[in-house]
Amino acid sequence: MALLETQGLIKRFGGLTATDDVDLAIEEGERVSVIGPNGAGKTTLINQITRLLDPTEGDILFKGESIIETDPHEVVQRGISKSFQTASIFPELTVEQNAEIAALGSEHGSFRLNFFRHQNRYSGVSEATRRTLEAVDLWGQRDTQASALPYGDKRRLEIGIALASEPALLLMDEPTAGMSPEETNATVSLIEEVQEELGLTLVLVEHDMEIVFDFSDRIVVLNRGQVIAEGTPEEIQGNPDVQEAYLGGVEL
Amino acid sequence: MYAERRGCIHVSDESANPADTTETATTVDTADAADTTETEADGGETLGGASGASTVASLQARWESARDRELTVIGLTIVGVSLFPYLFARAPVVSDLLQGYQELASLMLVWGIFAIGFDILLGRTGLLSFGHAALWGTGAYAAGWASANITTFPLLLVAIGVTTAVVLSVVLGWLSLRRGGIYFAILTLAFAQMIYYMASAPLSFITGGDNGLTGVEIGSLLGVFDLGTELPSVAGTLLGTWRYAFIGAFLVVSVAAIYRILNSPYGIVFRAIRENEQRAEFVGFNVWRYKLAAFVLSGTFAGLAGALFTIHGEYVPLSSLYWQTSGEVVIMTVLGGVGSLLGPLFGAGIYLWVEYIVSGGYPFDWIAPYWLLVLGSVFVTVVVLFPEGIWGLIGDLRTRVATRLEER
Repeated sequence: MALLETQGLIKRFGGLTATDDVDLAIEEGERVSVIGPNGAGKTTLINQITRLLDPTEGDILFKGESIIETDPHEVVQRGISKSFQTASIFPELTVEQNAEIAALGSEHGSFRLNFFRHQNRYSGVSEATRRTLEAVDLWGQRDTQASALPYGDKRRLEIGIALASEPALLLMDEPTAGMSPEETNATVSLIEEVQEELGLTLVLVEHDMEIVFDFSDRIVVLNRGQVIAEGTPEEIQGNPDVQEAYLGGVEL
Repeated sequence: MYAERRGCIHVSDESANPADTTETATTVDTADAADTTETEADGGETLGGASGASTVASLQARWESARDRELTVIGLTIVGVSLFPYLFARAPVVSDLLQGYQELASLMLVWGIFAIGFDILLGRTGLLSFGHAALWGTGAYAAGWASANITTFPLLLVAIGVTTAVVLSVVLGWLSLRRGGIYFAILTLAFAQMIYYMASAPLSFITGGDNGLTGVEIGSLLGVFDLGTELPSVAGTLLGTWRYAFIGAFLVVSVAAIYRILNSPYGIVFRAIRENEQRAEFVGFNVWRYKLAAFVLSGTFAGLAGALFTIHGEYVPLSSLYWQTSGEVVIMTVLGGVGSLLGPLFGAGIYLWVEYIVSGGYPFDWIAPYWLLVLGSVFVTVVVLFPEGIWGLIGDLRTRVATRLEER
């Protein structure tokens, strides 16, 4: 059974069909990249999986159960985490507090009536916080205010926040966007490390083809909302439909 | 350890003096070392064995230091509340300067409770409600109506006022939190004004309409102590009346309760929501419910303050539901310092002082007609010069004094 499955996922915005009958199956432990030209529906697809958007038609199964009726926070609690395209952090808090919030989110659950219970009583949180920050190599900067971090570090903190909830599936929306080449390399190796260590299943949305071809077990190509190709990096590289979509049919 | 720092942030050491920080850092390390051995996720107290024992010890240590700080805050509040009416209304020199009097001291506490509760929503969660008059007014009317029709026991009146406000805040919050930001503010304002107009005419057979709710009758506390009489001996000199003591006790309880709330997981989640709502949702918190919780919690204190307002004044004016009341509590909170536990108390005090003393004549008769202008100037000055309000100003002064002392 696939970890994540989308069945005939259709999302229409007025007259525009952003994802058109997308069937995906992502196996446990896989690294899958979703690529496609601008406007292909990549982000819309991710946003439906995280339940930020309601699909017009179709179903999404996670661990065999439909998550179509759940809220985003429930999806996170079930084990799908997302790292955002922009560094989505808590800017005015310290790096440590950022990770603490994320760790508490996973240990404490989405909501409880415990407003008179002292937060120190959630003892796993500090341990998880430390583990997370060490994993993304930010433990040394734990007392820095998050907004004061350099951009690359902010992105890493963001990835840390996504990891702190100990997900089974991590969706990454352009994790290296806006990074310098050094930062990009560091981030890619960080992602690889973390993926191996935690046995994560990864879905990557990325524009940098070098990363995509190096990193992925499998690539899914979207164009105008439809899956036009799917396969290993080698298969995709030689696929004429993909070249057509990206380059408008120019022979290479 | 997180709480240690949080404690500092919220309660006193906004300015985090350097000695404190290093101290905290060492505790962090030892506590963490103990934590690494821990395997049990929830609580950890129940597990036996060596690792369990050290976890229990570290947890206990943290719990004890947290409790100590809690007791400090409560202790300081009790001292402040006990000395305030004496200094304000009876002490030589100071009270002459301030022109204070006993009943105004009580009123300041009532509004103070309103403002510190309001700050849970505005300062911590980052939601601006412009309709808290509805909750305050409803608490006041419920207590007033009950005193004329059900019971005159002050404690029961408070319970009735609070319960009514809680129910209303669930409804108002549930409706208004459909939208965020400015739309939320407008929705709360709209619903509150709806309630105001309901009270002014269609429901005037209950509320007394424009005349306000007369016929409020407040009995004696526990059937023994008349709230208007003076306390015996020293307590009488310090606190003055039973009424003040009654309101003061509720202020202390409110401060303790809010301190607890801010150091519970709610405190963290509220901050997360204020900082980045979408991220808070995407680390797995049910943001909507936490916002509703913040609204209801602040509504609870608004209702409590409203009920105490009725007990204090033995009358409920229709204006207690008017939007201006909502505006006043916003101003008090901002003036005192949003996001500080005790700041809004000072905001409420200063607001009321200008409203009642400066507007009241001698020695301010030359400026009395312009008391709103005075208030506006104070507000603008504080907001421009001290964005963290009066509480931030106090924090700055303390750091300066501390560094001076260290230099010596």
